[in-house]
Amino acid sequence: MKDPLSKVKTAMSDHTFKNLTFSKERKQGVKEAIREKKRHAGLASWSEETLISLLQSVKTEARDGYAISVILFQRHDRTFERKEGELYTLLHMLENKEILSASWKNDRKYYALTGKGKKYLAASQEKSTVQSPVLRKLIEEAAL
Amino acid sequence: MNEAEIEFDRIAGDSLEHREEIVDQLISTYGDRILHLAYTYVKNEATAEDLTQDVFIKCYEKLGQFNGRSSLKTWLYRVAANHFKDYLKSWHHRKLTLNEKVLSCIPTPDRNVEETVVAKDDEQQLADAVMALPVKYREVVFLHYYEELTITEISGVTGENISTLKTRLVRARQLLKEAISREGLE
Repeated sequence: MKDPLSKVKTAMSDHTFKNLTFSKERKQGVKEAIREKKRHAGLASWSEETLISLLQSVKTEARDGYAISVILFQRHDRTFERKEGELYTLLHMLENKEILSASWKNDRKYYALTGKGKKYLAASQEKSTVQSPVLRKLIEEAAL
Repeated sequence: MNEAEIEFDRIAGDSLEHREEIVDQLISTYGDRILHLAYTYVKNEATAEDLTQDVFIKCYEKLGQFNGRSSLKTWLYRVAANHFKDYLKSWHHRKLTLNEKVLSCIPTPDRNVEETVVAKDDEQQLADAVMALPVKYREVVFLHYYEELTITEISGVTGENISTLKTRLVRARQLLKEAISREGLE
């Protein structure tokens, strides 16, 4: 005997899903939401060089946000000049992504490179950063 | 090659620009089908549309996690099925269905008349019977008979193992036959 369920496909498309299509308006809704997210990620677009400098600054020892900002400044990276808040946002994202670990000492938060962070740092230094901004993509992802 | 590199050597989600393109393609290829899948779970058009929108936005966010171990299609269906099942489990939905149940207990003579007067053809009967199945059977019937996925592919979507799914299909067929012959006798 023929499987009576062989008719399921036509039965469902003719009845259950009749007139049920993903409309233009709904598609547009998705597009707009994506555009919004992209704009948000755009705000978090620090350069690969800045990200590398930051990771390097905590490679050998844990440092607090202020010490990190001083090191970046010494390297002539002015990304966070007069917007230190952004540095803390970034540090927080890197902590969430487990690139950095944080510990409190004397009311200050000290950041250090994790094992994963070391791998990312090595990978981003190995390749030409222009071709493959490994860290920047990671941050974009975190900002979505 | 170290771990970090492997993670980023994958095709999808490499840049946000590329990601948007991929999502566009997914929508034009699978938009209707994901909507139908959603409807199979939630049985409400507006909710199904909302949830389908969510799924494609989720895809955009998660494309970076796609690891190429399954096909992109299987991955999309998995993201979708999980999202729809989460919705069914949600407090919001449970409250809604409880209200519906209460309402449906109040007799509405109109509907009864309509049901007896309009004779259902075989196809309508079958479609209704599928939609009346408990969700775990509905899911597997939709994926196997409507989407024509193999048991292995379904396992990739739902995460259940193959023997469980086979048993479920057998049971679903039984339930459907019973439902149809019951209606036929009436």
